[in-house]
Amino acid sequence: MTQAVLEARDISKAYRRHQVLRGVDLTVWPGQLVAVVGENGSGKSTLLKILAGTLVADRGQVRMCGTLGYCPQDPVLNDSLTVGQHLRYFAAARRLRSLARAEELMNLLGYEQYRGQVAGELSGGTRQKLNLTLALLHDPDVLLLDEPYQGFDWETYLRFWDLAGDLRAGGTTIVIITHLVFEQDRFDLLADLADGQLTPREARSGKDDHVRR
Amino acid sequence: MSAADLAPSPAAPAAPPGAPAFRQFPVAWRFALRNQARNRLAWLLLIAFVPVWYELMAGIAGHTPLTFKLYATGRVLSVDGGHLTLITAGLNAVTMIVGFAVFAAIRRTLAFDKRLVFAGYRQATLITAKTLAIAVIAAAVAAYTSLVLLAFWRPGPAGWAAIAAAFAVIALAYGALGLLLGVLVRNDLEGFFLIIMGSLMDTFLQNPLGNPLANKPVLEWFPSFGPTQFAVAGSLGHTALWDHLALGLAWPAAFATAGLLIFRARTRTRTHHDRRAADSRPARGML
Repeated sequence: MTQAVLEARDISKAYRRHQVLRGVDLTVWPGQLVAVVGENGSGKSTLLKILAGTLVADRGQVRMCGTLGYCPQDPVLNDSLTVGQHLRYFAAARRLRSLARAEELMNLLGYEQYRGQVAGELSGGTRQKLNLTLALLHDPDVLLLDEPYQGFDWETYLRFWDLAGDLRAGGTTIVIITHLVFEQDRFDLLADLADGQLTPREARSGKDDHVRR
Repeated sequence: MSAADLAPSPAAPAAPPGAPAFRQFPVAWRFALRNQARNRLAWLLLIAFVPVWYELMAGIAGHTPLTFKLYATGRVLSVDGGHLTLITAGLNAVTMIVGFAVFAAIRRTLAFDKRLVFAGYRQATLITAKTLAIAVIAAAVAAYTSLVLLAFWRPGPAGWAAIAAAFAVIALAYGALGLLLGVLVRNDLEGFFLIIMGSLMDTFLQNPLGNPLANKPVLEWFPSFGPTQFAVAGSLGHTALWDHLALGLAWPAAFATAGLLIFRARTRTRTHHDRRAADSRPARGML
């Protein structure tokens, strides 16, 4: 029997008196591509941080299977290190024996020419590419992406979806946080986050019980 | 379910099998040192500020005779105020430069360090690399400041070595303070203000030139007390007050311990992983 790779139950979070999440439930199955959509300030990033484990919820439970890749909305980089040095640093963090996957991702996202440039001098789009690469270096089982194509030009946006397609074909589960969805049919599941609650919009895969009120 | 289900786990997410953990250290060490050494303003301060500061302070002090109390022996030395002020000026320059450089480097990379730990870097490895990088920077700044001193005053080999040792110890103390403030304060201005004011008060209160508090027991509670006693005793009193040098080392130990504990808490990761189903994943094709 297939087991969900990511399960969040009754997630609630408040910043002082401002209640951001009110009992959010989410179940994601292996290989699914899920979008959590919401307006600015709706709590999308808060939810993703809780799923990733970088933020503690006030209430609720999260269970995840396999290795995690998390790409935060704001690229968390070291402005004094070059792109290549970032890749070596994170390869060491992930205990990878080679940088082959990093090279592959750089080529795929089209920024290999910036290998020797320090992060502080990169454009917003290239910083985001590096941010995404760092989350993907170790081929995670579950990928949590917060506004991953923010700052991408159209060509890079398409490259991103090529990459996402390849990852899904390899069995990676992807959860994307976004405030805009251009092509709904790319996703297996779209869920709107409004008033602190997650509501399913459309379920291509036919499983409509992934998001529970 | 309660929030306890999301309680921090004691360890970072387990890394996938691959390169051994010890290989993380050389990378962390190299980049920590690079990060510390990349502060251009700190380099400019070191190269230009140190000789200018010596010149200025020596000019202000002249050769006024002063009395300086060695607390270990109770002996009161009659010293050249210019020489004593050069020691104070050197201590002050070292504290400001090292404190500023370390604070800026630690503060700038705290979020990045957290991401590294989240990605699987061992906290102990990052902490060790940072501590060693701070020690190297502190030693280098102390050595340079001691060498520049020779352009203004030649205290003799033993005296100079005592001053250099005192500079190294106070550099370590303020490097560790920079680390503590880097992980503690909420904005840059707070940290810079605390380092500059702390350094000025700490080092200049030790000098009896125009300071009514000098030679009073209250000075024992300042970080530069031990190094100042050791430097003055070694260069002007021909005495080695090793216990005071050791006392000076207690400050960097205390600051570094507090700073590294806070660093550990602020870069700690939380996991809610269940790896039971990880093996059921289909094999990945090449991209």
